[in-house]
Amino acid sequence: MAITRRKQQTVFRAIADPTRREILSLLRSGRRTVGEIAGNFRTSRPAISKHLRLLRSAGLVASRRDGTSRICELNAKPLLAVSDWLQDYSAFWDESLHNLKNHVEKKR
Amino acid sequence: MKPVDAGDTIIKEITINASAERIFDALTNPDERLKWWGAEGRYQGTHMESDLRPGGKWMARGIGPGGRSFLVHGEYRMIERPRLLVFTWLPDWDENASKSLVRFDVSESEGVTTVRVTHSGLMSESARAHHQGWPQVLAWLRAYIEAQVSA
Repeated sequence: MAITRRKQQTVFRAIADPTRREILSLLRSGRRTVGEIAGNFRTSRPAISKHLRLLRSAGLVASRRDGTSRICELNAKPLLAVSDWLQDYSAFWDESLHNLKNHVEKKR
Repeated sequence: MKPVDAGDTIIKEITINASAERIFDALTNPDERLKWWGAEGRYQGTHMESDLRPGGKWMARGIGPGGRSFLVHGEYRMIERPRLLVFTWLPDWDENASKSLVRFDVSESEGVTTVRVTHSGLMSESARAHHQGWPQVLAWLRAYIEAQVSA
């Protein structure tokens, strides 16, 4: 549970930033080199590299070397952490409402 | 019980064989709320304080997953006894937390009461600065899950 929560935090932090979301959006239409990604932004290339590092550490982007360039690819799987997190709340309210029903009907 | 999860909002409904007044008491009386609020083994409430008036504060302390203590607090926004209760929700277990909103709609008809809880603004809780990006992220997520289901 603690590990899951930490993982969720990493994913949440990664997608909370608009530039990183734009990068992910770009990669959704296919793999791109770091240079191609950076070409879409006014931000400096080192800044884009930094964003990419964060996305990689969250597992949302995978990259490999190809000659002199680095090719990045989207991995959407960690986004499931977002739905797990919502599921937690969903289960919480399911159970709470059931308990409320039992509690109130018992004491009627 | 019919869950309708849309975007970053959770909606749950249940029908209860009791009057709306009785249910509203259970929602608002701290001693009673501790008895039903939470999930067994996780989020077990142990202490609650409540100043039931618009703008009044509430807080609940309890034992969360892994035996860790937790604290949730907020403020009452709307109180229309016995049919409506709205309060903000701010948990302490998420360092990026910001407020979300919990709304209880209580409607009685012929001795049976429908309670609907709507917990909204959940995503902004973990990404307070850029809330407008969440619909996009949720759309990606949906696309990903659908692709998996059809695979």
